[in-house]
Amino acid sequence: MTVNASPPSLGELILRAFLTERDFETVSGDLLEEYRENVCATRGALRADLWYWAQVLGFAWRDAGSWAILFAAVFLARTAIDWHMPTADFHTRSAISTLAAVGIFLAAGLRAGSRSGWSAAGAIAGLATAGLALPLQFLGAGMLLVLWHDPTIVAAIRGSGGLEEVYTLPLLTVLPGILFGAIGGALGARTRPSRPSGHSLSP
Amino acid sequence: MADTLGTFEQAVMLAIVRLGNNAYGRAILNEVQVRVKRDVAAGAVHATLSRLEKKGMLASRVEAGTPVRGGRARRFYKLQPQGARALNDAWSAVDALWRGLKRPLKGSVRLRASQ
Repeated sequence: MTVNASPPSLGELILRAFLTERDFETVSGDLLEEYRENVCATRGALRADLWYWAQVLGFAWRDAGSWAILFAAVFLARTAIDWHMPTADFHTRSAISTLAAVGIFLAAGLRAGSRSGWSAAGAIAGLATAGLALPLQFLGAGMLLVLWHDPTIVAAIRGSGGLEEVYTLPLLTVLPGILFGAIGGALGARTRPSRPSGHSLSP
Repeated sequence: MADTLGTFEQAVMLAIVRLGNNAYGRAILNEVQVRVKRDVAAGAVHATLSRLEKKGMLASRVEAGTPVRGGRARRFYKLQPQGARALNDAWSAVDALWRGLKRPLKGSVRLRASQ
Protein backbone atom coordinates (compact mmCIF):
# COMPACT_ATOMS: atom_id res chain seq x y z
CA MET A 1 0.00 0.00 0.00
CA THR A 2 1.36 3.43 -0.98
CA VAL A 3 -0.73 5.81 1.09
CA ASN A 4 0.94 9.02 -0.06
CA ALA A 5 1.28 8.22 -3.76
CA SER A 6 -0.66 10.60 -5.96
CA PRO A 7 -1.98 9.98 -9.45
CA PRO A 8 -1.31 12.55 -12.18
CA SER A 9 -3.05 15.75 -11.07
CA LEU A 10 -3.80 16.67 -14.70
CA GLY A 11 -5.55 13.32 -15.06
CA GLU A 12 -7.73 14.07 -12.04
CA LEU A 13 -8.52 17.52 -13.45
CA ILE A 14 -9.55 16.07 -16.80
CA LEU A 15 -11.62 13.34 -15.13
CA ARG A 16 -13.74 16.05 -13.50
CA ALA A 17 -14.93 17.20 -16.93
CA PHE A 18 -16.55 13.85 -17.67
CA LEU A 19 -18.48 13.34 -14.46
CA THR A 20 -21.30 15.03 -12.63
CA GLU A 21 -20.50 16.89 -9.45
CA ARG A 22 -22.33 14.07 -7.68
CA ASP A 23 -20.04 11.41 -9.10
CA PHE A 24 -16.67 13.13 -9.25
CA GLU A 25 -15.86 12.84 -5.56
CA THR A 26 -16.81 9.18 -5.25
CA VAL A 27 -15.31 8.03 -8.57
CA SER A 28 -12.04 9.93 -8.12
CA GLY A 29 -11.90 8.50 -4.59
CA ASP A 30 -12.35 4.96 -5.95
CA LEU A 31 -9.58 5.50 -8.50
CA LEU A 32 -7.28 7.05 -5.88
CA GLU A 33 -7.87 4.15 -3.48
CA GLU A 34 -7.21 1.55 -6.17
CA TYR A 35 -4.16 3.49 -7.36
CA ARG A 36 -2.66 3.65 -3.88
CA GLU A 37 -3.64 0.27 -2.46
CA ASN A 38 -3.25 -1.94 -5.51
CA VAL A 39 -1.88 -0.50 -8.74
CA CYS A 40 1.16 1.36 -7.34
CA ALA A 41 2.16 -1.59 -5.21
CA THR A 42 1.89 -4.19 -7.97
CA ARG A 43 2.91 -2.24 -11.08
CA GLY A 44 5.25 0.53 -9.91
CA ALA A 45 4.81 4.29 -10.16
CA LEU A 46 5.18 4.73 -13.93
CA ARG A 47 2.82 1.93 -14.91
CA ALA A 48 0.42 3.05 -12.19
CA ASP A 49 0.28 6.50 -13.80
CA LEU A 50 -0.32 4.87 -17.18
CA TRP A 51 -3.15 2.85 -15.61
CA TYR A 52 -4.65 6.06 -14.24
CA TRP A 53 -4.46 7.77 -17.62
CA ALA A 54 -6.08 4.73 -19.24
CA GLN A 55 -8.97 5.00 -16.77
CA VAL A 56 -9.36 8.74 -17.53
CA LEU A 57 -9.28 7.98 -21.25
CA GLY A 58 -12.00 5.38 -20.70
CA PHE A 59 -14.24 7.96 -19.04
CA ALA A 60 -13.42 10.46 -21.83
CA TRP A 61 -14.28 7.96 -24.54
CA ARG A 62 -17.58 7.01 -22.89
CA ASP A 63 -18.55 10.65 -22.70
CA ALA A 64 -17.00 12.34 -25.74
CA GLY A 65 -16.73 9.28 -27.99
CA SER A 66 -20.13 9.80 -29.60
CA TRP A 67 -19.28 13.46 -30.34
CA ALA A 68 -15.91 12.36 -31.76
CA ILE A 69 -17.58 9.75 -34.01
CA LEU A 70 -20.07 12.37 -35.23
CA PHE A 71 -17.29 14.89 -35.89
CA ALA A 72 -15.21 12.30 -37.76
CA ALA A 73 -18.29 11.28 -39.78
CA VAL A 74 -18.87 14.91 -40.85
CA PHE A 75 -15.21 15.23 -41.89
CA LEU A 76 -15.22 11.95 -43.82
CA ALA A 77 -18.55 12.74 -45.50
CA ARG A 78 -17.20 16.10 -46.64
CA THR A 79 -14.01 14.41 -47.89
CA ALA A 80 -15.97 11.77 -49.80
CA ILE A 81 -18.22 14.42 -51.38
CA ASP A 82 -15.21 16.50 -52.46
CA TRP A 83 -13.61 13.44 -54.02
CA HIS A 84 -16.74 12.21 -55.81
CA MET A 85 -18.38 15.50 -56.75
CA PRO A 86 -15.57 17.91 -57.61
CA THR A 87 -16.47 21.57 -57.68
CA ALA A 88 -14.67 24.83 -58.31
CA ASP A 89 -16.54 26.60 -55.53
CA PHE A 90 -16.07 25.01 -52.11
CA HIS A 91 -17.67 27.92 -50.26
CA THR A 92 -21.05 26.31 -49.53
CA ARG A 93 -19.53 22.95 -48.54
CA SER A 94 -16.98 24.66 -46.30
CA ALA A 95 -19.67 26.74 -44.62
CA ILE A 96 -21.83 23.67 -43.93
CA SER A 97 -19.00 21.48 -42.61
CA THR A 98 -17.57 24.32 -40.52
CA LEU A 99 -20.97 25.08 -38.99
CA ALA A 100 -21.49 21.38 -38.26
CA ALA A 101 -18.08 21.17 -36.55
CA VAL A 102 -18.73 24.31 -34.50
CA GLY A 103 -22.13 22.94 -33.51
CA ILE A 104 -20.63 19.63 -32.38
CA PHE A 105 -17.95 21.35 -30.27
CA LEU A 106 -20.48 23.75 -28.75
CA ALA A 107 -22.85 20.89 -27.94
CA ALA A 108 -20.08 18.77 -26.41
CA GLY A 109 -18.94 21.73 -24.31
CA LEU A 110 -22.48 22.69 -23.32
CA ARG A 111 -23.22 19.18 -22.11
CA ALA A 112 -19.98 18.92 -20.15
CA GLY A 113 -20.44 22.34 -18.56
CA SER A 114 -24.06 21.66 -17.70
CA ARG A 115 -23.28 18.28 -16.17
CA SER A 116 -20.23 19.21 -14.14
CA GLY A 117 -21.15 22.82 -13.32
CA TRP A 118 -17.58 23.69 -14.29
CA SER A 119 -16.92 26.08 -17.18
CA ALA A 120 -13.52 24.61 -18.06
CA ALA A 121 -15.15 21.20 -18.59
CA GLY A 122 -16.32 22.45 -21.99
CA ALA A 123 -12.76 23.12 -23.18
CA ILE A 124 -11.72 19.63 -22.05
CA ALA A 125 -14.74 18.08 -23.77
CA GLY A 126 -13.90 20.00 -26.97
CA LEU A 127 -10.30 18.82 -26.77
CA ALA A 128 -11.44 15.24 -26.17
CA THR A 129 -13.89 15.41 -29.09
CA ALA A 130 -11.25 16.68 -31.53
CA GLY A 131 -8.50 14.45 -30.11
CA LEU A 132 -10.52 11.25 -30.09
CA ALA A 133 -11.74 12.00 -33.63
CA LEU A 134 -8.16 12.21 -34.96
CA PRO A 135 -7.47 8.47 -35.33
CA LEU A 136 -10.96 7.95 -36.77
CA GLN A 137 -10.39 10.70 -39.34
CA PHE A 138 -6.93 9.46 -40.32
CA LEU A 139 -8.05 5.84 -40.53
CA GLY A 140 -11.27 6.76 -42.35
CA ALA A 141 -9.44 8.91 -44.93
CA GLY A 142 -6.99 6.05 -45.49
CA MET A 143 -9.87 3.63 -46.04
CA LEU A 144 -11.53 6.03 -48.51
CA LEU A 145 -8.25 6.20 -50.39
CA VAL A 146 -7.95 2.40 -50.47
CA LEU A 147 -11.52 2.13 -51.80
CA TRP A 148 -11.31 4.96 -54.33
CA HIS A 149 -8.02 5.75 -56.02
CA ASP A 150 -8.75 5.76 -59.76
CA PRO A 151 -7.34 8.67 -61.84
CA THR A 152 -10.62 10.65 -61.67
CA ILE A 153 -10.65 10.51 -57.85
CA VAL A 154 -6.92 11.34 -57.64
CA ALA A 155 -7.55 14.41 -59.82
CA ALA A 156 -10.47 15.40 -57.57
CA ILE A 157 -8.28 15.02 -54.47
CA ARG A 158 -5.66 17.32 -56.03
CA GLY A 159 -8.39 19.82 -56.95
CA SER A 160 -9.79 19.89 -53.40
CA GLY A 161 -6.54 20.69 -51.63
CA GLY A 162 -4.64 17.42 -51.91
CA LEU A 163 -3.97 14.66 -49.42
CA GLU A 164 -1.92 17.04 -47.30
CA GLU A 165 -5.09 18.93 -46.45
CA VAL A 166 -6.95 15.73 -45.65
CA TYR A 167 -4.27 14.77 -43.13
CA THR A 168 -3.54 18.21 -41.65
CA LEU A 169 -7.06 19.62 -41.34
CA PRO A 170 -8.01 17.28 -38.44
CA LEU A 171 -4.96 18.50 -36.50
CA LEU A 172 -5.98 22.10 -37.12
CA THR A 173 -9.40 21.48 -35.60
CA VAL A 174 -8.02 20.77 -32.12
CA LEU A 175 -7.62 24.42 -31.17
CA PRO A 176 -11.09 25.49 -32.44
CA GLY A 177 -12.41 22.42 -30.62
CA ILE A 178 -11.02 23.72 -27.35
CA LEU A 179 -12.27 27.25 -28.05
CA PHE A 180 -15.85 26.40 -29.02
CA GLY A 181 -15.99 23.70 -26.36
CA ALA A 182 -15.00 26.35 -23.81
CA ILE A 183 -17.78 28.66 -25.03
CA GLY A 184 -20.28 25.81 -24.79
CA GLY A 185 -18.96 24.87 -21.36
CA ALA A 186 -19.31 28.40 -20.04
CA LEU A 187 -22.89 28.56 -21.33
CA GLY A 188 -23.70 25.13 -19.92
CA ALA A 189 -22.27 25.87 -16.48
CA ARG A 190 -24.10 29.20 -16.34
CA THR A 191 -27.49 28.06 -17.56
CA ARG A 192 -27.79 24.67 -15.91
CA PRO A 193 -30.75 24.13 -13.63
CA SER A 194 -29.93 23.76 -9.95
CA ARG A 195 -29.75 20.14 -8.94
CA PRO A 196 -29.60 18.30 -5.66
CA SER A 197 -26.00 17.48 -4.89
CA GLY A 198 -26.67 13.85 -3.95
CA HIS A 199 -23.92 14.08 -1.37
CA SER A 200 -26.07 13.59 1.66
CA LEU A 201 -24.00 11.49 4.00
CA SER A 202 -25.76 8.81 5.90
CA PRO A 203 -25.37 8.94 9.65
CA MET B 1 -41.05 -9.19 -17.55
CA ALA B 2 -38.28 -6.91 -16.27
CA ASP B 3 -35.58 -5.41 -18.50
CA THR B 4 -33.27 -7.97 -20.05
CA LEU B 5 -29.84 -7.72 -18.46
CA GLY B 6 -26.60 -7.97 -20.40
CA THR B 7 -23.77 -10.21 -19.16
CA PHE B 8 -21.77 -7.27 -17.82
CA GLU B 9 -24.81 -5.84 -16.05
CA GLN B 10 -25.33 -9.23 -14.40
CA ALA B 11 -21.65 -9.32 -13.37
CA VAL B 12 -21.96 -5.89 -11.73
CA MET B 13 -25.24 -6.71 -9.96
CA LEU B 14 -24.00 -10.09 -8.72
CA ALA B 15 -20.84 -8.39 -7.41
CA ILE B 16 -23.11 -6.07 -5.40
CA VAL B 17 -25.02 -9.08 -4.03
CA ARG B 18 -21.78 -10.83 -3.08
CA LEU B 19 -20.26 -7.74 -1.44
CA GLY B 20 -23.35 -7.04 0.66
CA ASN B 21 -22.84 -3.98 2.86
CA ASN B 22 -19.39 -3.32 1.37
CA ALA B 23 -20.58 -2.79 -2.20
CA TYR B 24 -18.97 0.53 -3.16
CA GLY B 25 -17.34 1.54 -6.46
CA ARG B 26 -13.82 0.22 -6.04
CA ALA B 27 -14.87 -3.01 -4.32
CA ILE B 28 -17.39 -3.67 -7.10
CA LEU B 29 -14.71 -3.03 -9.75
CA ASN B 30 -12.35 -5.54 -8.12
CA GLU B 31 -15.06 -8.16 -7.60
CA VAL B 32 -16.13 -7.89 -11.24
CA GLN B 33 -12.50 -8.23 -12.37
CA VAL B 34 -12.05 -11.36 -10.29
CA ARG B 35 -15.24 -12.93 -11.66
CA VAL B 36 -14.73 -12.09 -15.34
CA LYS B 37 -10.98 -12.81 -15.04
CA ARG B 38 -9.79 -9.74 -16.92
CA ASP B 39 -9.04 -6.06 -16.36
CA VAL B 40 -12.18 -3.95 -16.46
CA ALA B 41 -12.28 -0.17 -16.96
CA ALA B 42 -13.60 1.76 -13.98
CA GLY B 43 -15.61 3.84 -16.47
CA ALA B 44 -17.45 0.74 -17.69
CA VAL B 45 -18.47 -0.20 -14.14
CA HIS B 46 -19.44 3.39 -13.31
CA ALA B 47 -21.57 3.71 -16.47
CA THR B 48 -23.30 0.41 -15.69
CA LEU B 49 -23.99 1.38 -12.08
CA SER B 50 -25.43 4.74 -13.15
CA ARG B 51 -27.65 3.12 -15.78
CA LEU B 52 -28.97 0.45 -13.41
CA GLU B 53 -29.62 3.05 -10.72
CA LYS B 54 -31.59 5.19 -13.19
CA LYS B 55 -33.65 2.10 -14.09
CA GLY B 56 -34.46 1.59 -10.42
CA MET B 57 -32.62 -1.73 -10.13
CA LEU B 58 -30.06 -0.32 -7.70
CA ALA B 59 -30.15 2.31 -4.97
CA SER B 60 -27.14 4.12 -3.56
CA ARG B 61 -26.08 6.08 -0.53
CA VAL B 62 -22.97 8.16 0.09
CA GLU B 63 -20.77 7.67 3.14
CA ALA B 64 -17.68 9.45 4.36
CA GLY B 65 -14.35 8.49 2.83
CA THR B 66 -11.22 6.96 4.34
CA PRO B 67 -7.69 8.45 4.55
CA VAL B 68 -6.35 6.23 1.76
CA ARG B 69 -8.82 7.83 -0.64
CA GLY B 70 -7.99 11.32 0.54
CA GLY B 71 -11.19 11.50 2.58
CA ARG B 72 -13.32 11.40 -0.58
CA ALA B 73 -16.78 9.98 -0.09
CA ARG B 74 -17.76 6.42 -1.04
CA ARG B 75 -20.99 5.53 -2.83
CA PHE B 76 -22.49 2.25 -1.66
CA TYR B 77 -24.95 0.35 -3.84
CA LYS B 78 -27.78 -1.96 -2.91
CA LEU B 79 -29.88 -4.27 -5.05
CA GLN B 80 -33.54 -3.24 -5.32
CA PRO B 81 -36.51 -5.60 -5.79
CA GLN B 82 -36.69 -4.68 -9.50
CA GLY B 83 -33.02 -5.58 -9.86
CA ALA B 84 -33.50 -8.90 -8.08
CA ARG B 85 -36.41 -9.72 -10.41
CA ALA B 86 -34.27 -8.87 -13.45
CA LEU B 87 -31.43 -11.10 -12.19
CA ASN B 88 -33.83 -13.97 -11.52
CA ASP B 89 -35.33 -13.55 -15.00
CA ALA B 90 -31.86 -13.57 -16.53
CA TRP B 91 -31.05 -16.83 -14.74
CA SER B 92 -34.39 -18.38 -15.73
CA ALA B 93 -33.81 -17.46 -19.37
CA VAL B 94 -30.39 -19.14 -19.45
CA ASP B 95 -31.67 -22.13 -17.49
CA ALA B 96 -34.53 -22.61 -19.99
CA LEU B 97 -32.07 -22.54 -22.89
CA TRP B 98 -29.85 -25.21 -21.34
CA ARG B 99 -32.57 -27.45 -19.92
CA GLY B 100 -32.26 -31.02 -21.17
CA LEU B 101 -28.71 -30.62 -22.49
CA LYS B 102 -25.70 -32.29 -20.94
CA ARG B 103 -22.75 -30.05 -20.18
CA PRO B 104 -20.05 -29.62 -21.29
CA LEU B 105 -21.15 -29.83 -24.92
CA LYS B 106 -18.96 -31.80 -27.30
CA GLY B 107 -18.07 -30.69 -30.84
CA SER B 108 -20.07 -33.55 -32.37
CA VAL B 109 -23.27 -32.23 -30.76
CA ARG B 110 -22.78 -28.86 -32.45
CA LEU B 111 -22.06 -30.57 -35.81
CA ARG B 112 -25.25 -32.64 -35.66
CA ALA B 113 -27.29 -29.60 -34.68
CA SER B 114 -26.01 -27.61 -37.67
CA GLN B 115 -26.82 -30.33 -40.23
